[in-house]
Amino acid sequence: MLLDPGMDLTLRPMRYPDFYERYRAAIRNTWTVEEVDLHTDLADLARMTAQERHLINRLVAFFATGDSIVANNLVLNLYQHVNAPEARLYLSRQLYEEAVHVQFYLTLLDTYLPDPEERVKAFAAVDHIPSIRDKAEFCFRWIDSINGIDRLESPGERRLFLLNLICFAACIEGLFFYGAFAYVYWFRSRGLLSGLATGTNWVFRDESMHMEFAFSVVDTVRAEEPELFDDELSAQVTRMIEEAVEAELAFARDLCGDGMPGMSVEQMRSYLQYVADQRLARLGMPARYGAANPFAFMELQDVQELANFFERRVSAYQVAVEGNVSFDETF
Amino acid sequence: MTQIVEGDRRLAIEEAAARVITDPANSRVAARLLAEEIAEEAAGHGVRTFAESVAATHAAGLVQDALAAFVAANAAELDALIADEADERFEYFGLRTVYDRYLLRHPDTRAVLERPQHFFLRVACGLSTTVAEAAELYALMSTLSYLPSSPTLFNSGSRRPQLSSCFLLDSPRDELEAIYDRYGQVARLSKYAGGIGISWTRVRSRGSLIKGTNGHSNGIVPWLRTLDSSVAAVNQGGRRKGAACVYLETWHADIEEFLELRDNTGEDARRTHNLNLANWVPDEFMRRVEADEPWSLFDPKQVPDLTDLYGEAFTRAYRAYEADGRFVRQIPARTLYGRMMRTLAQTGNGWMTFKDAANRTSNQTARPENVIHLSNLCTEILEVTSDAETAVCNLGSINLAAHLRAGDGIDWDRLRATVRTAVRFLDVTIDLGFYPTPEAAAANGRWRPIGLGVMGLADVFFTLRLPFDSPQALALSTRIAEEIALAAYDTSADLAAERGRHPSYDDTRAAGGVLHPDHYGAAGSPRWDAVRAKVAAHGLRNSLMLAIAPTATIASIAGCYECIEPQVSNVFKRETLSGEFLQVNRYLVADLQARGQWTQRVRDDLKRADGSVQHVPGIPEDLKALYRTAWELPQKALIDLAAARQPYIDQSQSLNLFMAEPTIGKLSSMYAYAWKSGLKTTYYLRSRPATRIAQTTVQRVAPDVCSLENPETCEACQ
Repeated sequence: MLLDPGMDLTLRPMRYPDFYERYRAAIRNTWTVEEVDLHTDLADLARMTAQERHLINRLVAFFATGDSIVANNLVLNLYQHVNAPEARLYLSRQLYEEAVHVQFYLTLLDTYLPDPEERVKAFAAVDHIPSIRDKAEFCFRWIDSINGIDRLESPGERRLFLLNLICFAACIEGLFFYGAFAYVYWFRSRGLLSGLATGTNWVFRDESMHMEFAFSVVDTVRAEEPELFDDELSAQVTRMIEEAVEAELAFARDLCGDGMPGMSVEQMRSYLQYVADQRLARLGMPARYGAANPFAFMELQDVQELANFFERRVSAYQVAVEGNVSFDETF
Repeated sequence: MTQIVEGDRRLAIEEAAARVITDPANSRVAARLLAEEIAEEAAGHGVRTFAESVAATHAAGLVQDALAAFVAANAAELDALIADEADERFEYFGLRTVYDRYLLRHPDTRAVLERPQHFFLRVACGLSTTVAEAAELYALMSTLSYLPSSPTLFNSGSRRPQLSSCFLLDSPRDELEAIYDRYGQVARLSKYAGGIGISWTRVRSRGSLIKGTNGHSNGIVPWLRTLDSSVAAVNQGGRRKGAACVYLETWHADIEEFLELRDNTGEDARRTHNLNLANWVPDEFMRRVEADEPWSLFDPKQVPDLTDLYGEAFTRAYRAYEADGRFVRQIPARTLYGRMMRTLAQTGNGWMTFKDAANRTSNQTARPENVIHLSNLCTEILEVTSDAETAVCNLGSINLAAHLRAGDGIDWDRLRATVRTAVRFLDVTIDLGFYPTPEAAAANGRWRPIGLGVMGLADVFFTLRLPFDSPQALALSTRIAEEIALAAYDTSADLAAERGRHPSYDDTRAAGGVLHPDHYGAAGSPRWDAVRAKVAAHGLRNSLMLAIAPTATIASIAGCYECIEPQVSNVFKRETLSGEFLQVNRYLVADLQARGQWTQRVRDDLKRADGSVQHVPGIPEDLKALYRTAWELPQKALIDLAAARQPYIDQSQSLNLFMAEPTIGKLSSMYAYAWKSGLKTTYYLRSRPATRIAQTTVQRVAPDVCSLENPETCEACQ
C-alpha cells in the first residue's frame, strides 16, 4: 500500500501510472523566471495609491517565504512517506517547481523593492509581520506534527500523515495561495501588474497540479485503506480548514484595511469560504460554509486564454514533443 | 455626477463585463455604461462635439495644424456627420480597447479628449481633403464595416503620422558597420509602432574566418541577442514593446542554433526571448525531406549569391556549390525538418514560410534582381527588399460580418463598394505617411503596395450555418477572396488612370500582362478579362494589394472573429494590457437560448471542457459540428481554405495552425501538405498547455470522477 513504510525502488510493474503521467505532464509545462517580463509593473506601482501599495508590499512579503515552506514539508515529510517511486518522481518534479517559484518571487521582490533596507524587511516578514507570521506558524505546526515519525505503522500515524498532506494541499496551496492569487487577479482585472499576473498564471498552474496530485494520493489511500477515513478525521479536517480560513482572513484584514472598490475583507471572507467548501467537496466531505464566489474576475481564471500576440508572451507551449518525421498522418 | 456614482458605475461596468457568459447581452450593457463614462470624461475638458474635440487635441499639441484647420473650416458639416448612436454597435471589449488605447488623451490629465465616434471621424479626416471623402470613410468605420490597421488608427492626423503596419528589412550585409546600421533602422521603425521583419541570412556563420583580425566568427546568435535587447528596449508610444521576427534561410549553417533561440532551457546567453523566428524555406529543402536525402549547410560568406536566387536558379547554384564541397557540413534533411517541427511544437515559433512560392507568383519579381527575401512580423506581407529598400505595407481589413444581408449571405454590391473605398484610402496613406527611414520611404514610393484583408469569416460561417470544413464554406470563402481581388485590381487600375501608375510598374509582371491569379489559372472569367484589359490600358497604382493580416486588435474593436480564423473556443478570455476579458460565442448562446438550453449547468460543462461543446450533454449534432473549435477542426480544412483563396491573395495570409497535442509525425505531415498546397507562408503553431489552472468557479461534478481537466488519463473522453 502507498503508505506502507519503506523505500520502494521498482518502477515495473508500475502500481500508480497516474502519478507517472502527472510527472510527465508537469515536465511538458516547464517555464522559467526569465520568461516573465516585469517591466510594466514598475510604472503601475508608481501610479498606485498608498493603500494599494501597502497591499502589494504585504502580498509579496508573504510570497517571499510561502513556497519555501511548502518545499520544506515536501522534503521533510511527503517524500519520506509516500512510498512509490513513480510518486516520488512527481514529488521531485514538484520540488523543482517550488524552487522556480521561490526564484520567481525572489526576482519579483528584488524588482519591486529597489531599496535594500525595505527589501531585507520584506524577506524577514515571516518573523515580524504578525499576519504573515501567524500563517507561517500554522504551517510549521503541521510540519512538526509528523516530523518525529519515521515510519507510518499505526492507523493513528497514517491519519496524522493524511492531515499533514491535506493541510498542505487544501489549506496552504489550496487556500493561502488561492487567496493571494485573488489579489493579483484583482489588480489584473484593472489592468495593473500584468508581469506579476503572468508569473502568477504559471505558478497557479503548477500549484493546481500539486494540489490535484496530493488529492489523488488521498484518493488512493482512501481506496486502499478506507477505514482511515472516519468521522474523526473528517472533523479534524474541517477544524483545520476553519483555522486556515481565519488565518487568511487576518491576513486579509491587514492587506485590505477598510477595503477598496472591488476588494474588501467581507468579499475575501466569502471567497475564502467558497474555496474552502470546494476543498471539502473534493475530499468528499460536507460543505462547511455554503458561501458564493463574490469575485467575478476569478471566473476569468477558469477560461482558456487567448494571448494577444503583440502584448503578451504565449504561455501555452509544450516542452516535450515526441515522434518522427512522416508524411501520412492525419491532421 | 458625484464621485460615488462614478465609482458605482465603474463597478457596474466590471460586474456586467464579468457576467458576459451568463448572457452576452451584458456586453452591450457594459459598453453603454462605458460610453457614458467616456462622454463625461471628455466633457470634463469641454469636449462635446467633433469640432470641439479636434480643437482640444490640437491645443494639446496632438494633431496637425492642417487637420485642425480643415475641421475648423468645415465644423458644422463634420459635426453633423457624427452618429453617436453608432456607439451601440460596440461590444464591451471593443469599446474598452478603443478607450484604453486609441482615444487621444490630454498629456497631463490623461483624460480622453475625444469620444469613439470623434476618433473615427478624426482618422477619416486625417486621410481626406474634402468632407465628402471623410464622410465616405467614416461611414465604413462607424458601421464597423472596415477598419484601417492600428498604426493608421493611432496616428492619422497626428503630428508624426506613421501609418504603416509592417516593415521588412533585408539582411544586413556581412560587415560590422552594416549590422549596427540595421539595429538603428530597426529601432527607428519600431519606435513608431511598426512591426519588424528582418532577414539575417547574409551574415556569416559560426567559425567563419574574419580577415581583419584573423579570428573566427561566433555566428549569428550574439548579433541576434543584441537585436533582441534593442527591440525590447524600444517602447512604442504607450506601453507596448517593439516586436520583430527574424528570418533565416534553411541552408544557413547556424540554422540549428537559430531554432533554439526561443527555448526556455539551456544557456540564456544563447536565447532571445523577445524575437520571433521564421524559416525561409526553399523548395529544394522540402524535396530532399521528401526524398530523405542529405542537406548541405553553408556559410553565406562562401555563397553570397544564394539568398538572391530562387526557383531553378537557386537549385542550380545550390547543387553546384554542394558539388564543389563548399558546405560547412551536411545533415539528413529529415533530421533538420524534424528539428523545425520540434521548435514549432515547443515554442509556437519558427514559422514555415516558403521562399519559392513567395517569389514565383509575386508581381514584384519580374526582374531577376528583384527578390523577396523574407516576410514580415505576421507572415502576410511578401515584398522585395534590398540594402537600399525597406519594404513597407499599409493595411486595412474588411469586416465580412458587417456585409451579411439579413438571412441570405453576402451583400456582394456592398462588399465591392467597401473594397473600392478601402483601396483608395490605403493608397492615400502611402503619400500621407511619415517614414522613419529613407530606405522605407524609397521603397514605398516606388512600389506603392497595400494590404487589404478581411476579418469575421467565422462570423459569416456561423450566421450561414456552414461548418469550416464544408464544401459550401470553401466555395464561399474562395468567392469572397475573388470578389475582393477583382474590385481591388479594378480600383487600382482606375487610380492609375487618375493619379498615375506606381513608378516601378514597368518592373512588374502585370506590365507583362500577367496578374496574380493567372499563375494559378484562376482568372479565366470574363470579369478578369475586363480587369486585365483595364490594367493593360492604365497600369496599376499599386504593385500588390491583398494580404490577410491577423487583425488581433481591430477585430476586437469590430467585435468579430479574427481574419480568416476559426474560433479558438466557445468561451475564452482575452488578456491584454488593460486587463482580462471574458468572451463567449454569442452565436452559440443565441442558439442555446432559443432552445432554453443556456443553463448554469451547460455553462459549467462548457467551461470544464475548455470551451468545447462536443461532450456537453443535450447539444444536438448539427450545433456540435458548427461550433467546433480550432482544436477540433481538421487542420487540413484550414489549409485547403487558405490554398483555395491563395490565387486571389497576391501577398499572403497570417495562417495559424492549431494542434492540441502536437507530435513530430503530425506536424511534419501537416507542413508538407501546406507546402504542396502552394501556400506561401504559415504563421504560429498553436498548441495547448499540458497542464492547467484548477478551476475555482466551476463546481466539480463529483469527486473521483475523471474530469476533462486531465484528458490524457481520461478514457471517457478519447
